[in-house]
Amino acid sequence: MNLLLDSINELFAPATAAFALAAIGLNFHFGLTGLLNMGHAGFMLLGMYGYAISTSRGAPIWLALVIAIVVAALFGLLLGWPTLKLRGDYLAIATISAAELVRYLGRSNTLQSLTGGSTGIRGNDFKFTFEELSPLPDENITFLFWTRHGSLSSSWWLVIVAWVAVALFALLYWQLARSPWGRVLKGIREDEDAVRALGKNVYSYKMQALVLGGVIGALGGVLWALGGSVQPDSMGRPTTFWIWTLLLLGGAATVLGPIVGSMIFWMSLVLIKGLASAFIPSSVLSPVEIEPFSLVLVGITLMCLVIFRPQGILGNKRELAFND
Amino acid sequence: MTNRVDRRVLLRALVVLVVAAAAFVVLTAMGSPALAAGTDTAVTHAVAGSGEAAAHATQAGTIIHAEAAAPAEPGDNRVVQQLVNGLVFGLLLALASVGLSLIYGTTGLSNFAHGEQVSLGALLCFFFTTPQPVSLPLLPFEFTIGLPLFPAAIAAIAVAAGTGWLQDKFLWSPLRRRRVSIVQQMIVSIGLSLAMLNFIQWWFGAERQRLTTSIDERIDMGLFSIGISTLWSVAISLVCLGGVAYFLMRTRTGRATRAVSDNPALASASGIRVDKVVRLVWMMATGLAAVGGILLALYDNAAAFDVGARLLLLMFAAVTLGGLGHPFGALVGSLVIGVAVEMSTLWVGTDLKYAVALGILILVLLVRPQGILGRAERVG
Repeated sequence: MNLLLDSINELFAPATAAFALAAIGLNFHFGLTGLLNMGHAGFMLLGMYGYAISTSRGAPIWLALVIAIVVAALFGLLLGWPTLKLRGDYLAIATISAAELVRYLGRSNTLQSLTGGSTGIRGNDFKFTFEELSPLPDENITFLFWTRHGSLSSSWWLVIVAWVAVALFALLYWQLARSPWGRVLKGIREDEDAVRALGKNVYSYKMQALVLGGVIGALGGVLWALGGSVQPDSMGRPTTFWIWTLLLLGGAATVLGPIVGSMIFWMSLVLIKGLASAFIPSSVLSPVEIEPFSLVLVGITLMCLVIFRPQGILGNKRELAFND
Repeated sequence: MTNRVDRRVLLRALVVLVVAAAAFVVLTAMGSPALAAGTDTAVTHAVAGSGEAAAHATQAGTIIHAEAAAPAEPGDNRVVQQLVNGLVFGLLLALASVGLSLIYGTTGLSNFAHGEQVSLGALLCFFFTTPQPVSLPLLPFEFTIGLPLFPAAIAAIAVAAGTGWLQDKFLWSPLRRRRVSIVQQMIVSIGLSLAMLNFIQWWFGAERQRLTTSIDERIDMGLFSIGISTLWSVAISLVCLGGVAYFLMRTRTGRATRAVSDNPALASASGIRVDKVVRLVWMMATGLAAVGGILLALYDNAAAFDVGARLLLLMFAAVTLGGLGHPFGALVGSLVIGVAVEMSTLWVGTDLKYAVALGILILVLLVRPQGILGRAERVG
């Protein structure tokens, strides 16, 4: 019973919302435009750094958000410039390298006083501006079965803000995907040359999609950081792969796919860990082994999804987004 | 190959370089005013990084040791020493990247799970050689194998090559038969890499494991010093690479491999059994990755479950630099990357040395996406 409540708690946890938001960003890249961005965690990490560093240096919350957005947009521009003309697998290698580059720079001792090195930035250094805005009382609140603090760390306040943000950006995706702009992007995904023949500037459209998706990813990173701390190693390649898994799980190129995918992904992680520790004796699977075991399952899920059901749960088979 | 240099491309490269350099300067100015103190700070920085994961700390520790020891002995030269270290590292890296390049050449797949093959090789060798009791995942009993290092390495390489065979037989070859697109296959390989990485962690734990307890004796060569077992590693790696070169250039199957690389359909039409060749390539690639993993584990004193994951992007950098799908390009690229990575520690902190390689990769993609040896072709 507790396990069930825990997994339902995970359904609306801030981390779920943060990953859903990041996945919406990736959906702009991959679902809409067909860009193979394998460095989404880099965008998230840059957003986190932009927000946390500027807040800890005294910037108000709106400025910190603007800085996070600008940093991510610049990263997208810089990254897209050389790579968007290349074939898909080159783009994947370039983006994954750029994201790792950001992580290496962030965790290096050279930038210790700015980024906090490999230990990152403590939550208390940058969360206060957001927590001060909370209208909720400053105490633990129990809603139905779940208790969270009203406004501190991964609080009800963060839950509300995070899901409102997810809803807004899902709405934005829905509107943009059916706008003329979105139709051009879908055209690029299906047949780039055909769109080019129609006189559209493919490169510029791809760049717009890359920057927009990256900025949304960065905001997802900010949400993630507000629930915990800025830790460069939490935004390594596995994070990118998780986002891919949950996007493909929910269904790429759908409005609700990233959200459903994120919910199922996090809930099943909690469920698997709970069930494994409850039913598999610890002589077979010791507690420290449960984490890697569940992530093995994530990897296998990703493989099976791509092979057997590339359109995911909600996707449309005809709108397959895998093109060379 | 066009000799005409595209001016726009150069301009683009220049602007990105300037922006990156400016960003780096600004960040370092804000981040660490002490950087101006030069290379000594790099050492202290590395010492200060006690918060790093144990794996990194030990690695940094060995490097600091080498750096600290270098000025003490007369006749030692840090530049030459790092150059030699870089060449050694590049040669060992080449073992892994040649396989990656062969797979790309014959199947078109950028195999993101190749890094895990490297870790798997190193840790399988540990599995066979350690005198401590070991266990298999999901089996609740322990047993001791404890082979000597050399037979253990052979066994590890054989098992690793076996995983290559299994992968191709049960995963990649059915996917090719179903005409699953290359992009989809690439994402499958990413899923495989995630699964294997965590499987290896589950199996061997997160600690760094030592393959051997003996301490490497270093011999002084005047300008630089090098370990005796490192010399052996270099020799083994040269023999392996030479073997691959001989196989590709002189044997019948090797020619068939190159034919498949050039044009699978044509090769198939001229009677080459493409699937056989590809399966052989998979076994070779995974076997070579295991050799590379074992030698790198000996070179670094230890191996952890994520050693290959950290090397994967260096391999991609090397392969791209040399030209995707050219095995000899991968060798050249690995040497360049190895030297660049090790030489860069003269100027930047040791924890940034992999970042340098990734920077080179992005620059290469800017200026010459087809690599050093690649043909000029449209890649976009």
